[in-house]
Amino acid sequence: MKFGLFYEISIPRPWTPEKERTVYNNCLEQVKLADELGFDHVWAVEHHFLEEYSHCSAPELFLTACAVLTKRIQVGHGIVVCVPEFNHPIKIAERTATLDLLSGGRLHVGTGRSATWTELGGFGANPDTTKKSWDEFVRCLPRMWMQETFSYQGEFWSMPERTILPKPYQKPHPPMWVAVTSPGTEIDAADRGLGSLGLSFAGFEEQEKKIKEYRRRIQSCEPVGAFVNEQVATTNFLFCHEDEKTGVEMGKKLGNTFNYLATQLISTREVYSSPSYQSLGLLPALRRAATGPDAGEQQTEGMAYGDPARIIRAVKKWEALGVDCINFILNANEVVPQDQVMASLRLFAKEVMPHFARKSGQVAAAAGE
Amino acid sequence: MPLYGSLDITQSPARLPTLANLDTEAWTLPRAETMQLLIEVPRTTTESLLPKAMHPALPSYVALAVTKYPESPVGPFNLAVLRLGSRAGAHPRGFLLGAVASSPAAAEALRTRWGFPVEAGEVKFLRRHDRITGTARKDGRTILDCALVDPQPVAGSDVQYINWVTAANAPLDGQTQPMLIQVDPKYTFYKAERGKPQVSAFDAAAWHAPNVTLADPIIGTCCTVDTDLPRIRFVMDPLKPVFQGTRRIRESRADE
Repeated sequence: MKFGLFYEISIPRPWTPEKERTVYNNCLEQVKLADELGFDHVWAVEHHFLEEYSHCSAPELFLTACAVLTKRIQVGHGIVVCVPEFNHPIKIAERTATLDLLSGGRLHVGTGRSATWTELGGFGANPDTTKKSWDEFVRCLPRMWMQETFSYQGEFWSMPERTILPKPYQKPHPPMWVAVTSPGTEIDAADRGLGSLGLSFAGFEEQEKKIKEYRRRIQSCEPVGAFVNEQVATTNFLFCHEDEKTGVEMGKKLGNTFNYLATQLISTREVYSSPSYQSLGLLPALRRAATGPDAGEQQTEGMAYGDPARIIRAVKKWEALGVDCINFILNANEVVPQDQVMASLRLFAKEVMPHFARKSGQVAAAAGE
Repeated sequence: MPLYGSLDITQSPARLPTLANLDTEAWTLPRAETMQLLIEVPRTTTESLLPKAMHPALPSYVALAVTKYPESPVGPFNLAVLRLGSRAGAHPRGFLLGAVASSPAAAEALRTRWGFPVEAGEVKFLRRHDRITGTARKDGRTILDCALVDPQPVAGSDVQYINWVTAANAPLDGQTQPMLIQVDPKYTFYKAERGKPQVSAFDAAAWHAPNVTLADPIIGTCCTVDTDLPRIRFVMDPLKPVFQGTRRIRESRADE
């Protein structure tokens, strides 16, 4: 089992330059500690215009800062939007290769297509074609990284022969993932040999079905890259406290706040009728869970909050279902004070991590501080 | 946390429709044809139109809809409505700003049974080979002239209709008072099309949205559906956040 951090970078109103800077600095401080504690990944989303929910519109810059501040933790684009109005594929290849170099080969590249009208409409993108452009991009990126020269004639973009520079540090290229929120995207991931970067908060039963199907399909995949990245990651909330009641209460506050903010987003399906967006993605589950920012009762099962014993039980269950990595959301709208986020990370590393087989096997002395 | 609307409907209760009770019987509305155009509008023009209990949709958008109901308990009628995209707590809703019904009987029933801010006028729904048009006239003036241009077939499952919220006076706990009422029709799709929204006339003031200017079209749909106007199930305190001020009036329908 691997553990990661997952950043939306949620910032409450009223926004001031100092507040936005403080939240970014809090995140960097958490990442630095997580690196010392032996966490495996830090992921950062690419979102645009999503007020309060996510102010992480330039994740490559945030992740560069993470890479520079840390030694071991791997940095992940979670995800790069593979829609031409958002990102030109050449720029994606160049940016990611640069980040891989700066991080010393610690980059993971998550891919996706955006799920909100707020973002797609903001960039003037056509929702009907985002899945197709994503498919085209993920097939081009490995070749752009690996080939000395590259040329391409496609439906969504084309280029004459050029040398795309720099090349990634990792050979043949960084591991590739796809964001899985809508039902069926895990199949898209498996068929292309991509890691499944789960961003929804579905319960055990639904996740188990998805994981089984992913594992089955990926056995016969035709990978878009030079290798198959068979990994299943899921997202969770983390708040670890010595006292179970305190941990659950704060964890619920975190989860409810995140969910409530997420339900305010305008899904593409809400306003743009398209066969390409038949699912509302993660929103139905969040709306069931988020009766309000102070909702007390409804919670999705398997959440990683409470005391260490409770969290160990939840993580063991995810491990038994076949999850390879859990990425934790640590805060939303800064409802968890920074000192408590840091204490939660330390306690998790000290009391929970040792119960799980880990490749790095490192729990640094910082956990005991 | 998310922004809230700034409209206090308790300050002008006389302007709201009034229901005699919350025991409205459901209407079945078979084979309705409904054209809905979604259009983004500047946020500053909608802030004062949304009740304090609700969150605005970001970006702000409105839904202009013209519907032909060939059968109803008050006979055939057409209805044009303007709804503001919003949130009741975690749920997407269309807050009803204004409506025009083509028959006085329909206008009276919709106003007094569900609390729609509806007036009688002239509403037309026309299908041409390259477009579907909707017009509404009130007091001799055209207040809406719109079209769905170049309709192309899509699946009914591609279309999502969100539930409505309207502001009205209704008796609750022995007192008639302003409240928000949720109206949540069901839809069975027979045919669905989508196309480009086009609006050639829109008198914002006539829709009780005087500052709204239509900015960026999103998409238009036209669907043939079996639908209904159901019994009222939820009412909301207009001044409290919806997640704190919602009351269930009756249980959900048997088919839910």
